[in-house]
Amino acid sequence: MPGADPGGTTGAKIVVTGLGAITAFGWGVAPLWEGLREGTTAVGPITRFDASLHRTRLAAEVPLALAPHGARRATWADRFAVAAAEEATRQAGLTPAACADAGVYFGSSTGGMLESEAYYATLIGPRARHARPSLLVAQQLNGPGDAVARSLGTSGPVESVSSACASGSMAIGAALRALRRGDVELAIAGGSDSLCQLTYAGFNALRSVDERACRPFRRDRAGLSIGEGAGVLVLESLAHARARGAFPIAVLAGEGEACDAHHMTAPHPEGIGASAAISQALADAETDAAEIDFVNAHGTGTPHNDLAEARAMHRVFGDRTGSIPVTSTKALLGHLLGSAGAVEAVATVLGLVRREVHPMPVAGEPDEAIGLRLVLGRPLALPRAIAALSTSLAFGGANAALVFRCAEAA
Amino acid sequence: MSPHAVVATGIGAIGPWGGGVEGLARALAAGRPLGVEIDGEGRDDRASRLAALVPDVDLSRWLPPASARRLGRPSRWAVAAARIALEDAGLPSLDGARVAVILATSFGAVRFTENLVRQTLVEGPESAQPFYFSECVANAAAAQVALAVGARGANVTVTQREAGPLVALARGTSEVREGRADVALVGAADEMTPLLHRVLDRFGATARPTAHHDEAPRPFDVARNGMLAGEGAAVLVLEREADAVARGASRRVRVAGTAGAFDAEAAPSDWGEGDETMARGIARALARAGRSPAAIDRVVAGASGSRRGDRLEARALSRAWAGAPRPPVLVPKAVTGEYGGGQLAAAFLAALGVPFGPVAAMTAVEPGLDVGVHDGSPLPIPEAVLVGALAAGGAGAWAVLERA
Repeated sequence: MPGADPGGTTGAKIVVTGLGAITAFGWGVAPLWEGLREGTTAVGPITRFDASLHRTRLAAEVPLALAPHGARRATWADRFAVAAAEEATRQAGLTPAACADAGVYFGSSTGGMLESEAYYATLIGPRARHARPSLLVAQQLNGPGDAVARSLGTSGPVESVSSACASGSMAIGAALRALRRGDVELAIAGGSDSLCQLTYAGFNALRSVDERACRPFRRDRAGLSIGEGAGVLVLESLAHARARGAFPIAVLAGEGEACDAHHMTAPHPEGIGASAAISQALADAETDAAEIDFVNAHGTGTPHNDLAEARAMHRVFGDRTGSIPVTSTKALLGHLLGSAGAVEAVATVLGLVRREVHPMPVAGEPDEAIGLRLVLGRPLALPRAIAALSTSLAFGGANAALVFRCAEAA
Repeated sequence: MSPHAVVATGIGAIGPWGGGVEGLARALAAGRPLGVEIDGEGRDDRASRLAALVPDVDLSRWLPPASARRLGRPSRWAVAAARIALEDAGLPSLDGARVAVILATSFGAVRFTENLVRQTLVEGPESAQPFYFSECVANAAAAQVALAVGARGANVTVTQREAGPLVALARGTSEVREGRADVALVGAADEMTPLLHRVLDRFGATARPTAHHDEAPRPFDVARNGMLAGEGAAVLVLEREADAVARGASRRVRVAGTAGAFDAEAAPSDWGEGDETMARGIARALARAGRSPAAIDRVVAGASGSRRGDRLEARALSRAWAGAPRPPVLVPKAVTGEYGGGQLAAAFLAALGVPFGPVAAMTAVEPGLDVGVHDGSPLPIPEAVLVGALAAGGAGAWAVLERA
């Protein structure tokens, strides 16, 4: 174990050296940032499956027609993951040889459920004997992480996480810890999920989906919108990055995880677990709450989540809360579930790099009970931004938070 | 004792052997697979017929029946296993904010998922019941454990198939060792349904009856032709060794080192031939425990009877041991079946020196696989065991457990 204290951690500074993203804005980080700056929601009519019988009919779909060639037999969740990882490792200047011992830490909430639904549909029907098990081969929740590891040819550890909507953030947190411990010198971390009927029907059954595009933190918010895609970060110690001549994009300074232990689907009304996760992440990042320049919130647009999250922020940031710019990537891309934390981590890093916070659409009156400074309509320039927070609040009360600092802090 | 050392001080399990671990210990001593007939409407004569299923166990002592009704079976078993484990550890009280829950699952609450898919696809999406949705997410069991015991630390669900329980063990160990939690509840929960069993059978993953042999899992055996699909939940209580000693915890199994690896040549849902890569993973786990292969008294293999998986594991062990004397290899999945944490629970027992009997269904180890499957003869209490599991898809995970 290179340089590790067998009990504790190396204390190494961990930097981001590559980003990858597949979202409804397109295949890549460039279309993602362009779409985020534009501030127009990508939530639109569902084309992936027949949504006519569903209570709602909108989602933010990845434009599949723009998919790169190759791996046609893989599930969409795997293909999003692999494409995002390829983009991130390319930006990080990693050769296949350099990835040989990388660790892969990956989140997904449903893996290739879209494809396995087709299998189940046949299996439970009159033509059960014709069901093709091959549709299930890559459906597993470890599918996207394994697919990334396979495509990179790594022999390092692979850890897949499925903690619902916090999976992506938790995977990035796991990578941070493994790097600090010295378990691995290079980590590929992120998440991937594709739209599927099961999730769509499930959130609708909970009456959690807005019939219009979601409006996080707005008074008339009525639920989330569902999205899909993948986000990937290449992470390594600063020393490792410097040794191979890689350029640090940002610092992954800290992470925190805490559980509400309150309810299976509802957040703790006071955001107890979320505030604990944020506080832990700040402490882990050795960053004072006063240093946070903007927040990329979980901000789903459901009445309870947004209020609980706002209360969590008020608890941590106190009087300063109303002055910290807050945005929600979900307002534009919908809720990417197991990859939400990963894509939002990419968006947070981009905000620090470009020194601006992406907006949410203007639609809807701000909710005064929320008491947050929302970034609406156009990007907010923050020329002196140094640190930012990204939060994830999941089913089962599983919360995670990540703190990033700008590369100059490295 | 290292100031950072982490020990398991309690265990709870619900499995094909029933509730608690006494039944598991008896089953391991007997060495007979716990497979029973699983519903298999319309299957052909050659198909797999057996699964290691949890019998009707009275869980009311650990989970009020009214609460149980709202939970999927993996969640019920996980909550019961967690409460048994805490009782077993004799922990007087818990500071919820300092308790992490890290559980693994391969398939989650399959029955509820099937119900929800059926409702959505057959009866129409408006028929989908919210109850099924909230309990069919993969992290339902970990969340229900947190709710049941008030655990407000990290709550993580690992989904790395057969390697998941050991990945969860490693993750929970680091939570405690690095000071983010005082107690970590780690383990696994899974359920088997007729539909999932049929799918696994169609993949050729499960053992089938042949002209010469009954249907049974035969790890490393020349006659093996698949695993016994199982279910259940197992939970270990982890805490700092110094805390455990200070409060007089009597049974302690130290998690001395953990490691993972990935075989990038493996196809999805299959095992590859990367024994060299896997041997490096074993070597890392041993190095982190500060032990040479010669200082390992027992191997608790992940071998399940899978043709390719067992071969890979045997070759990786051969490589890792090179010329060193080989310890006996225990194969608990020959009894518990795959999934549901049986191997993790068995590894804890193995580290304490609980005797394992001869594996009833074994014929002979496959020629060319240099692995000494334990024949059931009495063994001295071990100092250290290596436990390993190779997942379909390419991941591998290992842990060195020591009697503390």
